[in-house]
Amino acid sequence: MASVTFKNIKKTYKGDVHVLHEISLEVKDHEFLVLVGPSGCGKSTLLRMLAGLEEITAGEIYIGDTLVNPLPPREREIAMVFQDYALYPHMTVRENMSFGLKLRNMPKETIDARVQEAAEILQITSLLDRRPKALSGGQRQRVAIGRAIVRKPKVFLFDEPLSNLDAKLREEMRVEIAKLYERLNATIVYVTHDQIEAMTLASRIAVMHGGYIQHLGTPIDVYSKPANKFVAGFIGSPTMNFIEGKLINTGDSLSFVNDTMNIVLPFDIPFGNRKDDDLEVVMGVRHEDIYTEKKEGPKISEAISGKVEVAELLGYTKNLYIMCGSTRILTTVPAAYEKHPGDSIFLWLNLEKVHLFDKKTGKRIS
Amino acid sequence: MNPVFASVIEVFQMVFFVAWSVFLMEVYMWLHFRKYKETWFIPVALASAPVLVCVLILSAVGNAVSGSLIGWAAGLAFLLEIPAAFLFQNKVKGKWALPFMLIVPGFVGLGLLIAYPLVFEFYLSVHDLKLATLKTWSETGYLPFTGLMYFKQVFTMSPLSEITFWQLLWRTLWWTFINVSLHVAGGLGLALLLNRNMKLKGIYRTLLVVPWAMPQVVAVLAMRGEFLESGFVNIMLHRLGEWSPFLAHLGVAPVQWLSHHAFMTCTIINVWLGIPFMMVTILGGLQSIPQSYYDAASIDGASSWQKFKNITVPLLRPVIAPAVTLGTVWTFNNINVIYLVTGQAGGTEDADILVSALYKAAFTFNRYSYSAAFAIIIFIILFGVSMLWLKLSKGTESVYE
Amino acid sequence: MSNTPLKYNPKWIKFRNRAADILIHAALIAVALVFVYPVIRIFSVSIRPGDMLTSDSLAIIPQNATFLSYKKLLADTNFLRWLWNSLIITVSTSVIGVSLASTAAYAFSRFKFPGNKMGLSLLLGTQMIPAGMLLLPLYLMIMKMGLVNTYLGMIIAYSVSSLPFSIWILKGYYDTVPRSLEEAALVDGTTEFGAFYRIVLPLSTPALAIAFLFNFTSAWNEYLVARVVLADSTKYTWTLGLFELQGQFLTQWGMFAAGSILVTVPVLLVFLYSSKWLISGLTLGSVKG
Repeated sequence: MASVTFKNIKKTYKGDVHVLHEISLEVKDHEFLVLVGPSGCGKSTLLRMLAGLEEITAGEIYIGDTLVNPLPPREREIAMVFQDYALYPHMTVRENMSFGLKLRNMPKETIDARVQEAAEILQITSLLDRRPKALSGGQRQRVAIGRAIVRKPKVFLFDEPLSNLDAKLREEMRVEIAKLYERLNATIVYVTHDQIEAMTLASRIAVMHGGYIQHLGTPIDVYSKPANKFVAGFIGSPTMNFIEGKLINTGDSLSFVNDTMNIVLPFDIPFGNRKDDDLEVVMGVRHEDIYTEKKEGPKISEAISGKVEVAELLGYTKNLYIMCGSTRILTTVPAAYEKHPGDSIFLWLNLEKVHLFDKKTGKRIS
Repeated sequence: MNPVFASVIEVFQMVFFVAWSVFLMEVYMWLHFRKYKETWFIPVALASAPVLVCVLILSAVGNAVSGSLIGWAAGLAFLLEIPAAFLFQNKVKGKWALPFMLIVPGFVGLGLLIAYPLVFEFYLSVHDLKLATLKTWSETGYLPFTGLMYFKQVFTMSPLSEITFWQLLWRTLWWTFINVSLHVAGGLGLALLLNRNMKLKGIYRTLLVVPWAMPQVVAVLAMRGEFLESGFVNIMLHRLGEWSPFLAHLGVAPVQWLSHHAFMTCTIINVWLGIPFMMVTILGGLQSIPQSYYDAASIDGASSWQKFKNITVPLLRPVIAPAVTLGTVWTFNNINVIYLVTGQAGGTEDADILVSALYKAAFTFNRYSYSAAFAIIIFIILFGVSMLWLKLSKGTESVYE
Repeated sequence: MSNTPLKYNPKWIKFRNRAADILIHAALIAVALVFVYPVIRIFSVSIRPGDMLTSDSLAIIPQNATFLSYKKLLADTNFLRWLWNSLIITVSTSVIGVSLASTAAYAFSRFKFPGNKMGLSLLLGTQMIPAGMLLLPLYLMIMKMGLVNTYLGMIIAYSVSSLPFSIWILKGYYDTVPRSLEEAALVDGTTEFGAFYRIVLPLSTPALAIAFLFNFTSAWNEYLVARVVLADSTKYTWTLGLFELQGQFLTQWGMFAAGSILVTVPVLLVFLYSSKWLISGLTLGSVKG
């Protein structure tokens, strides 16, 4: 196992299309790093540059201490799991898994032993003599992972491996991958657009957007202290609520004001920038930090009034969409909660968990 | 030596030669794409180019080539290699190594066998190669220069004995038009009949494809045989005349097809040959039109004719257009049918189209330079017509998007 | 019920459909007969007894049908030799064409090298060159190189037309093979060429077979080039041989017909057997997974 270092990686296509801007990132040894972001943010490109499948326009990539820029994929000691599994159709599962080892002229016994071992870990021993055609999506997925495991590479690369599976299978495979990580304690670089996978599997997450890393941190870090509005909106399901307004400094207190609410933000809640008056901000607050019953405490805001727009019953809980002025806010309540569309309602915010973002730059203020 | 054995040996020799040439080319490519970084690259490249060229020429033509020719070739290779070596080292830098190494054997072959002959053809067309000058040329390589004389002759003199260029051109256009129209009409009709769930569809389809599946030589010669004086067609006409004096009175009687009605004979044969291809193509297109369009039209109250006009025809266009283009080019260039039917000694010129006249002029009358000029003119015409056609068909937009 | 217009009366509809069916079948049978009749005629001519060769009769199975013509053909002429010549030339052309094309098509499919698009258009353009145009200079070239009447000359001439088409077909097929397969191979440890050779090529056997088949049939049935290059009767391909049998003044009908049948039947069988392939093969999709 080894660490991976990206130094000032840039990627441009002909015609000045910048896909990645000066990305620097270090993946520690034995770490599970997830690159997450919407389509087109550059995460797959970064992964493929690590694999040697894309040219590096500028910058350096190190695996361990080795500069891998000039090396072709086969000399980088990596293994990759592809989105469409990429299993060789004309070979059996066993042959698929032994292919890489045969190319390196390993003795037959070693190959057989490794294939057997991987098959047992992934519970595919009964499938070893089948062709990919005869396997289900989930089984193919396992074989693809098995093919990577037998290589015992320095780094594992996963390129959106669960995207082609249905929701239920995805949940199962997520658990499998987590177990695999526990067992192998490998260095893994994992690309996905699904923030749930990122949150559940990663040791650290790199949220990417527009060719930049928006936030690099542990899942908790990214969830509770997102570096900017984009990260805040991307991570967490249901999505964070965003309310636009102004930050007014009245000298002895800070207030968040918009046309329907006026919330005093107590000084002892850490807010970085207090010099500017009337700063245009976006306040972000997650559904679990919005209360529908009054709670006392200095960290709780005054009541905000609104009207219930839609109620979605999810079984155990209910999603309430509430209009406060021109903003729609989502909060979750127990299923039995007795408010219906059209009813007016009061909300209280937990000011400790509220985030403030500069409206122009999106950057975190608090 | 057993002739079979001899032929096998000959083929192996040829295979070796091709493999050897490919090998030499790949050595050259490998040296330039992979070894450009070495310090010894430039001197080795400069030395190797002439060597490779000499080896290639010697193994190809053997002793039949003079020392001075080899000297020239080597010198030329050396001169060309100077800029090439620098280019590879500083500009190309091994990029695109694999693709070029993959395509070079094929394309060099294509170049030699298509590009070179084309150039040669231009050369021929402005020099004077005919039966009289052939011997001198093959011994000394000398040919008198004639400039545009032959090009003028194409328009003024007959390629064969009587027929003029303009007659040929007109006849070719007419030939193409009539054949393609009948092909499409026949193919469309048959495809429409076949496009339903019927029991014997497979058998019909198989039988109707026979004219296309047969070797063309057999098909055409056999059909030609039927149009001879003693052939099937005349027998039938004779019997028809006997059976019904009324028809005989109208003029139904055996006819000299090949000498008096050559064009019609060739057309009939070519239509018989060409309908299956159109039928198969159109049938494929018909089957790809989703039934839901027709169902919607039925609900809207359309009649069969309306459905045909408004659904089938527009949706078939993307299928028919390329097929018609292909068919037109093939028909325009169709030497086979006409030559096979009228090409033997004593055959008529009345059915000739441009390309068959070209072939006859070149190989039956040995008027090489004339034919070269002729060929160039035909190509220009064809090219011009294709460009026109492409422009016109791009004007009609695709129906689906 | 008796007031429903005739158009919608179920009995009438049934009758009308039946009638339409019968008419359609009748039309198809008629056309099919017309299409196939010449073949039947050749067959019946080929089994005519010696004295009936140029008779008026239209009978399909003539009286005293015999295989004499076949025997004469095989014994008195070089027919077998002609078949052998055709076979050698055709197989060589197809093998060369497909091998060179398989690598070149891969380059066109996977790499955006300068000249890619132009090369493809050029290939397409070669198909438009009138047959006669290349024939003349090619013939003179071959003559000058002393390759007239040799297999080498023929194969060289044939490979010209087989290469562009093979490249076109194979490129189309390679385009449908997902690149992730080659990427997986690269990561597994192959070189770029290895990925092609070990993964893509084995997967392309259907397309290779189709290209081979197309080349084979066009070379096998070819006449014009052979006419120009081959002069010696022992080196003729079967197309030239058959042409010889049907001269202007002395047509050896029986042998001609026998030869025709002997050649046509295998070709028809191959065509019919492979045509299922051809259509499905050309649309063989990616093998995802």
